[in-house]
This record gives sequence, C-alpha cells and structure tokens, in this order.
Amino acid sequence: MKYFFNKNGPLISTYLIIAISFWFVFLIIIPQLYMFDLSFRPNIPSLLRGGPDDVYTLIHYKHFLFGSQTSGESYNYVDVGVFFNTLLIAILITLINLCFCYPIAFYIAKVASPNTARLLIVSLIIPFWINELLRSFALRILFAGEGFINNALLKLGLIDNGINFIAMDVALYTGLNYAYILLMIFPLYNAMETLDKNQLEAAEDLGSSMLKTHFRIVIPHAKAGIASGCTMVFMLTAGALATPVVLSSPNTFWFTQLIYQWFNMNDNWPRGAAYSVVLLSVSVVFVLLMMRIFKVKIGEIVR
Amino acid sequence: MKSQQALKILLGIYIFIFFAYLFGPLVIMSITAFNSAEFPSITPWECFSFRWFNEGKIAYDGQHLAGLATDWRLHEGLITSLKIGLGVVLLAVPIGLSAALVLTQVHSRLRTAFYSLSIMPVLFPGVIIGISTVVLWDRIATMGGGGLATELGRNGIFLTILAQACFISTYCFLIFVARLQRFDQTQEEAALDLGANQTQVFFKILIPYMMPAIASSCVIAFLASFENYNTTVFSILSDQTLTTVIASKVRLGISPAISSLALVIILITLTVTIIYEVLRRREDKKKKELEAEALFAQTLDSRLKKAKTKGLKIPKSIFGILFVVVVCIFGFNKMVEKGMYGSTCIAASEKEKKSNFADQLKLLQKNAEKASQQSSENGDVGEKKEFDSIFGDPNLFKDFGGFDSKTQDQD
Amino acid sequence: MSADVELQNVSVSFGNFYAAKNVSVKIEKGEFFSFLGPSGCGKTTLLRAISGFSEPSDGQILIGNQDMAGIGPNKRPTSLIFQNLALFPLMSVADNIAFSLEVRGTGKVQRRKRADELLELVALSGQGDKKVHELSGGQRQRVAIARALAIEPEVLLLDEPLSALDLKLRQKMRTELREIQKRVGITFIYITHDQGEALTMSDRIAVMNQGELEQIGSCHNVYESPRTPFVATFVGENNAFYGTVSAVDGDMVNVLADGHNFLAKAGDLGEGKKYTFKKDDKVIMFVRPESIFLKDQNNQADNIFTAGFKAIEFEGNLKNIYMSIDGKQNVRCSVSNAVDTTDLSNSKNVELKFSSRDAVVLPVGPLAVD
Ligand SMILES: Nc1ncnc2c1ncn2[C@@H]1O[C@H](COP(=O)(O)OP(=O)(O)OP(=O)(O)O)[C@@H](O)[C@H]1O
Ligand SMILES: [Mg+2]
Repeated sequence: MKYFFNKNGPLISTYLIIAISFWFVFLIIIPQLYMFDLSFRPNIPSLLRGGPDDVYTLIHYKHFLFGSQTSGESYNYVDVGVFFNTLLIAILITLINLCFCYPIAFYIAKVASPNTARLLIVSLIIPFWINELLRSFALRILFAGEGFINNALLKLGLIDNGINFIAMDVALYTGLNYAYILLMIFPLYNAMETLDKNQLEAAEDLGSSMLKTHFRIVIPHAKAGIASGCTMVFMLTAGALATPVVLSSPNTFWFTQLIYQWFNMNDNWPRGAAYSVVLLSVSVVFVLLMMRIFKVKIGEIVR
Repeated sequence: MKSQQALKILLGIYIFIFFAYLFGPLVIMSITAFNSAEFPSITPWECFSFRWFNEGKIAYDGQHLAGLATDWRLHEGLITSLKIGLGVVLLAVPIGLSAALVLTQVHSRLRTAFYSLSIMPVLFPGVIIGISTVVLWDRIATMGGGGLATELGRNGIFLTILAQACFISTYCFLIFVARLQRFDQTQEEAALDLGANQTQVFFKILIPYMMPAIASSCVIAFLASFENYNTTVFSILSDQTLTTVIASKVRLGISPAISSLALVIILITLTVTIIYEVLRRREDKKKKELEAEALFAQTLDSRLKKAKTKGLKIPKSIFGILFVVVVCIFGFNKMVEKGMYGSTCIAASEKEKKSNFADQLKLLQKNAEKASQQSSENGDVGEKKEFDSIFGDPNLFKDFGGFDSKTQDQD
Repeated sequence: MSADVELQNVSVSFGNFYAAKNVSVKIEKGEFFSFLGPSGCGKTTLLRAISGFSEPSDGQILIGNQDMAGIGPNKRPTSLIFQNLALFPLMSVADNIAFSLEVRGTGKVQRRKRADELLELVALSGQGDKKVHELSGGQRQRVAIARALAIEPEVLLLDEPLSALDLKLRQKMRTELREIQKRVGITFIYITHDQGEALTMSDRIAVMNQGELEQIGSCHNVYESPRTPFVATFVGENNAFYGTVSAVDGDMVNVLADGHNFLAKAGDLGEGKKYTFKKDDKVIMFVRPESIFLKDQNNQADNIFTAGFKAIEFEGNLKNIYMSIDGKQNVRCSVSNAVDTTDLSNSKNVELKFSSRDAVVLPVGPLAVD
C-alpha cells in the first residue's frame, strides 16, 4: 500500500482508489448483492421494507418452479417452459452463428489480401453500430404480414396466402441470429489472425485434407476465440430484450420479457429480482462451463 | 486444382450471401423510408417522397403519423440520450482508466481477481444490471427520506448513467489495458529521474500516451450508451431515451418514420466510418514515408529513395461511388417521368385509398351485421392482431408517439 | 558540481534471490567509473539502487557524503540514462531535453535556450524541433545524454547506453562520451557487459559476477593483474592452464601442468599483497594469447613448450593460432599479421614460449563461461 502511494503520488492515488472502489463497490457488487437479497423478500410496499413483514422467503423461486398456489398445475409450466425454450434457442443460435461465421472469419483472417480484409472488416462494423432495435425493425419490415418477403413470394406465385412469420417465431429467431452475428466473427477472426500461414501450408504440403487441416490446426488454434464468441453470443442472446420486443409474436415470451413483466407491469420487484437471479446463475454457469470445456481463462473470453 | 477453383467460387458465393444477409435488411429498410405509404414497404410502391423525414401524414383513418422532423418524443428522447451519453463518458472513461492503471501495478493472485471483477459486468445480462441498479436506488431513495438521495434515486437519467457506466467502464478498461500493454514503463522512471513528481509524470507522460485510447474509449462509451436498450429500459424509470421511444413506437405499429430515422443513423455511421478510414489510411501512408526517409537517412542507400509516384492516382472506390450516383439520378428521373414523385402522386394515391377504405368499411359493417345475425365468430382481420400490444400492456398507449403536439397528449 | 558516490555493503534482494550482494565501493568525484559484468549479474539492479528506483535491502548509499535512504529518484542529484534510452516519443527533441526544466516550472524561453545549449554540446545543433522517431540511433543516444545533463546532475548513471548501436557507431560514441564527460566534469557511472567499452573509457573498473564485486581497479590493473579466475577470463582473452604447485620461490611459483614445468608469478591480492601458495596447491596459470610467442620470434622468454597445431584464424591486424597440448589443453596464441606462419600448417608440433612475468597464478575458481 505504501508502495502504491509512493508510486503514484498522493493525488493520483486518491483518484485511482476512489474511482475503482466506486466502480467495484457501488456499481458492481452492492447492486447485485442487494438484488440477490431482494429476491428472497416478500413483495411489500417499499415503505414497509425493514419492518416486521420484511422476512426472508423462498416464495418467488417457488413461484418460478411451481406456479401460484391458486393454479391447479403442479409445476409452473409456462415460466419454466419459457426458461428452457430461451436457453435451448440461445444455444442453437450460438451454434448456428458459429457455423455461419467460421468460414467468413477464416476467409478474412487467412485467405483475403490485407486490403480486402480491411475493407470487409470495416463493412462488418458498420451494421454493428446501428441500434439493435433498428436492425430488428429492418427484419420486421421484411417479415411482416404485408412485408417484403411475403409480397415477393406472393408475386412469384410460390405461396397463395401470406405466411405469418412473426407468429411462427421465424422472425424472432432470425432476428436474434442477425443481432449478434458480429460478436461471433470478431473473436474468431482475432484468434485466427495469429495463426501462422506457414502452418497451413505445411499441413497442406503434408497431404492433409482441408477438413483435417481445420480440425487439427485451425480449430485448436482458434479455441479461445471460439469460446469467446460462443460465450458472448449466448449471453447476449439469452439476455436479449430489444430483439424479442420488436420481433416476438404476442404469444411467445423470451425469458427477459417475463422479468420485464414482473417488474414493470405487475410491479412485483422481488419476483423480477428472483427471475433475474435465475438468469444470472445460468449465465455464470455457462461461462464457467465454457472455461472448463475450452480450458481457457476468463481473460481470454472477454477481450 | 479444379476442386480448389470450385471451392473458391463457392466461398465467394457464400461471402456474397453473408453480406447480403447483413446489409439486405438495412438497405430495404432505408428504401422504405422514401415510400409515401404508411406501412414501410417496397413492393406496393406508392410515391417517392420525403414526407417521413419531414411532417409525416394524417392517415386516411384520421390518425396522425408523425415524421422525423415533427416527432417531439423522438427529439426529447434524443436529448435525454445525449445527456446520458455525456454522463456515461464522464464516468466510465476515468473509471476504466484507473482500473487499467491499477491492473499494471497489482501482481499475480490479486491481479487475476482484479481482472475478473473488472470484466464481470460485460458478462452480466444487460437487463440485470438495469434491474439491480433500480432496486438498490429505490431502497436508497426510500431511506433518504426526501433528501438528495431520494431525488437522485428517483431520477431516471442519473440511474441510467450509473447502470450503463457499470458495464461501459469495462469496455473502456479493455481499451486502456490494450494500450497500456505497449507502454514502456521506463518512460515513467525516466521522467521521475529527471525530477518530475508522480502527478507530473501522470499528466505529462501517461495521459499524452493514453490520449488515442482515451479518445476512442470516449467514442465507444458514447455510442454504447446511445444505443443501449436492455439496461436503459429498466433504469430510465419515467423518462424516455431515444431507444425506449423507438421501442415503444415499434411495439405500437411500424411506421416508415422509423425507417427514415434508421437511414439517418446509417448515413451518420457511414460518414464517420469513411472519414475515420480515410484519415487512418493517410496516417499509415505518412508513417510509411517517414520510415522510408529515416531509413534513407541512415543508410544513404539511393535505391531506397524511390521516385515518388507522380500524377494523380484515382482511387478505385471513386468509380463505385460514381456508379451509385448515376444509378440514383437515373432512377429518380424515371420516377419523375412516371409521375411517382411529388404532391400530385400522393394526392392521387390518397384518394384511391380513401375510397378503398370506405369500401372496406362498408364491407366490415356488412360482415358485422352478418356475424351478429349468425352469431358466429368471424376471423380476425389480417395484420391487425400482431400490431396490438405484445404484452397486453395498458400502459403502452402512454408511449404512443404519434401525436404532433404536446397538448393532445396531456389528457 | 560533481559528487562522489559511496556504496557501503549494499545488497539488493528480490525475495530470496540476491541480485547484488554486499557491494562496497567508493567512486571519486569526476571519475569515469564502470561496472563490468556478464548479462544478469546485477548491474542494472545496482544502478537502480543508486538512482533511487529501488531501495537496497541492506547497506547504505552515500552521494556527496549524504545518506540517500528514503530519498526518491526525483530528489537525488543523479540522472540515469536507460538501457533503452526511454526518450518520450510524443515530444520534440527540445522538449525531451528541457523536460526536467519544464517540471521545475522554468519559463518557455529559458527552456529553449538551455535545450539549444545542450544540443550544441552533443553536436546536434538545430535538430530541436524534430520528433524523436525522426532521429537515427546515434542521434537518439545523444539526445538521451543531453536530456540527462539538463538537470545538471552531480552523477550521471549510464546503463549500457551503446548496446543498441552498431559497431562503428559504438566506437565513435565511446570517444564522444569520454569527451563529454571531460567537458562537464561530473562523475559518470557506466554499466556495460562489453569489456572493450569499459577498458577504453573508464578511469576505474569494477568487475561484477553474480551480484558480487570481484575486483576494483584501473584498466591496467584489472587487465594485467586479475585477482580471480573469473576476472582473468572475463576481461580480455586468456589461456588457462590447470596444474599443481611444484615449488615456490618468493613471488615466483613453479607450476606443473600438462607435463611441463612452468615458471610464473603469483597473482596480486591488491594493496601490494600477493597470493601465497604451498607445494601441491591446485592452481590455474593464466597466460594471455598475445604474451605467447612462436619460438623463432625475438622475445625474452623463460618458459618453452610445444603444442600440436590445430587451426589458424585471420582477424585483420592479428592472427589467432589454435593449438593443443596432448589434445587436451587448448592453447591460443595471437601474433601480429606480419609474422610469417606459412610453415605452420604443415608441421604438427609448434614450439612456443612466454615470459614468466606475463603468467599469473591464481587459486582454482570458476571461469567466465562464454
Ligand atoms: N524485479 C525483479 N524481480 C526479480 N528478479 C529480478 C528483478 N529484476 C532483476 N532481477 C534479477 O536480478 C538479476 C540481475 O538483473 P539485472 O537487471 O541487474 O542484470 P544486468 O546485469 O543489468 O543484466 P543485463 O546486462 O542483461 O542488463 C537477474 O538475474 C534478474 O533475473
Ligand atoms: Mg541491465
């Protein structure tokens, strides 16, 4: 500590300590802990907080699993169903994105000439800077009942009646795929870029088939990038709110929408907090899982 | 060899499809901004018009659909977003910088923990950061008993700045860490040795070195704040930012005014990117020239002093831009010729639609009569259903952004 | 404005590892003093302790008879030139040089004046407005020196400042450095692993090995009277003959090595004392390659022996002849290029000789491995 002050001088040390403790304590740790605590509290008006009614309870988690006491069901099929649907779709979208982006990343990193690569990267960044809501909106225009795709298909005579893409959730899934595709490409690209081209040529020289080269050389090398891309895409997909708001059909819920509902419409913050804790634990488990599977450190996942 | 050729072609096609997928929706959306129809579409093309950028229109059923220039909700949201963006930059950049600096000074065990904690916020779902901030500050506001704490705790802008700064600081942190890795620490020691105190070292050596990173993290922080929805929608409370306004508009029904907004944003992004890219290339070129000169000065090898390429070199991209411009002018001309542009066209289509609408209304009435007679359910009317609120939220209509004047909204 | 520097039993440790052990030396005012040692022997560590970047874990550092404990690098009358120079890349040359004045609040005009003066001192007049990366390696070197001199230090510390330069430039800078030192008249403490550099520039040299001082003395002293086998082999080239003492006669020692009985003088211990040996002591006898002559050369010599010829190496002004005694003991001999060696390649055995005054006997110890 004395060393720290000596190294930075009194003024800068003070700034560093204040800034960092403000961030860690007030922005990261306390809010999460308080939310965690709140998820075990009953839903009472905020003026009664800290009063005799404010006791620890598992009621919100029970509600998530078993539904309200009044309903006849033994499990909360709706919420748990939404939860697993969200997870499943998020995983699927992650995998699809991985397959979809791998060739592109490889092309930019190792095949294209530096100038082309640069151009491609810049053109990849541009749509990325456009608001997620607006990008989803663009898809909404395409997929709407009288939207571009339906009209085009009708004109071509391929279909007789408009397809309701939105009700079929096609729009939602496409939108989620579309929204985070770049977060898959960039980690992959960064990882592949460091691969020595000579290694590829050597492998080819030794008669390795293209598939084999990829499985034995490129993929192991890009391991950290794959882990990073998959984690980011999964986390963002599972935690997405903007895209489902624009593209989900009235009777499909994304898990974040459930949280939103408890929070803003039903004014049951503790229950919203409990659902948030569920989502957060899944995220944490997923990150730990990725670190395990790919044997990477957390620092390699987030760059 | 043959198979490789085929593979290359396949790869080319794949890349083309990929980029089409990436840009196609954006291009189509941009085009719909110019269609005068009140539903954003291309194929039933009504008239080419700028109405969605300007005044919008009064729909045939009497609804006012605001255009970009007349939508005061968007304007207010924009101003709120700018305020929040500024606040986030002011908070997140210093935090990120300090964390990156401290990371270089802590060692081994502690370092891993410190790093993990610093990057944690980007691994949290955005909604959770928003929620946790709101619940904490609501509690603080309640306990504050009407003082400053209460005021802050119920201020959506303040909460949004805090919530966004939580994870945007990590973005800044990562940018700074990357730059610091290339920092030569002996520079600091040299400055100390020359009699500077630690504060002087910080402001005269470190900050100038970090300046490019500070600039880019300011931009990134601002943009990330500006386009954030997931966190903001919780922490903003009763205020509205640009994104929440857009979201509530999109939920209500899709209007080409949003397309025009998107187009404006796309154009701004494009311009900024192109300017940045041009500057970067120029910088690169300069650097290369300087290096060549230094090498020449050192070795005096005349072969290195290549004659500078003379004459004006026209970049190939010019042709692409020219081509686009020509196509645009040509298409516009065609449109004017065919009478698809201007007030006459709009008036004509409006009239047609009105009569259509009247017909439909009659039809509906007839149907309704029939339905009541047969007392049987009638199928829903096409689109209408999906435009209804997604959550069945009664509050949603308070978000309705279609009205032109504030007075109308106040009832 | 020059000060002496005294290290009293200075040790610097990193955990359990001692990078410098028990170093004691007194460096005089206005002296050009070099620390010479192989890479990783703790030279930089010692210099950082003198300039105040690290505190010695033991012992005292006195500059101008003042204890420096607890005084930060920005308060010491020293100035350090870093191994990598550490120029500030974002500032112009003049701003670099005047940095120390800037942080002291000196006005702009005065700063510029001083910078120009110093640029003249290091022969870089008129280059003040350039950026650092527009300079060549040698010019950067000089900027670093000018910058370090700007605070008018009493002691200038230089950490292998020439190691990044190519050979020609390095040789040029050696003389220049020496000249600058004479002109400003302050104490220079110079660090290097290059013995040529140390020998050409320094008044005195301290040879270091694994954190400890092996010998302090003038260039001649270190070269001609090495005190340990390490110094004997690290400073300059040397032939080492392992053997045992067969007889002692005052300062002269008879050494039995490789079947020959050589006569040599006992090594110096400093302060006029010499090593004393007994019969059957294990020793090493050192003879420099340039002190060994071919038998037909006209030189006084009281030791004569034969060795098998192996190879000859042409080095411009010199020729190195490599030989071995019984295929085991390697012998190297350097002769002037003028000496005729044409018949050597044919004859298997070469007759060699050297004077007992040029041979030094030291107790067995580790050599400098190269
Ligand atoms: N901060 C440190 N922590 C641990 N060990 C260190 C540290 N700094 C130096 N050392 C060790 O101390 C020893 C001496 O290092 P020093 O830098 O003084 O060598 P040097 O003589 O300057 O070498 P060179 O000629 O290569 O510059 C080395 O073995 C090095 O590994
Ligand atoms: Mg060193």
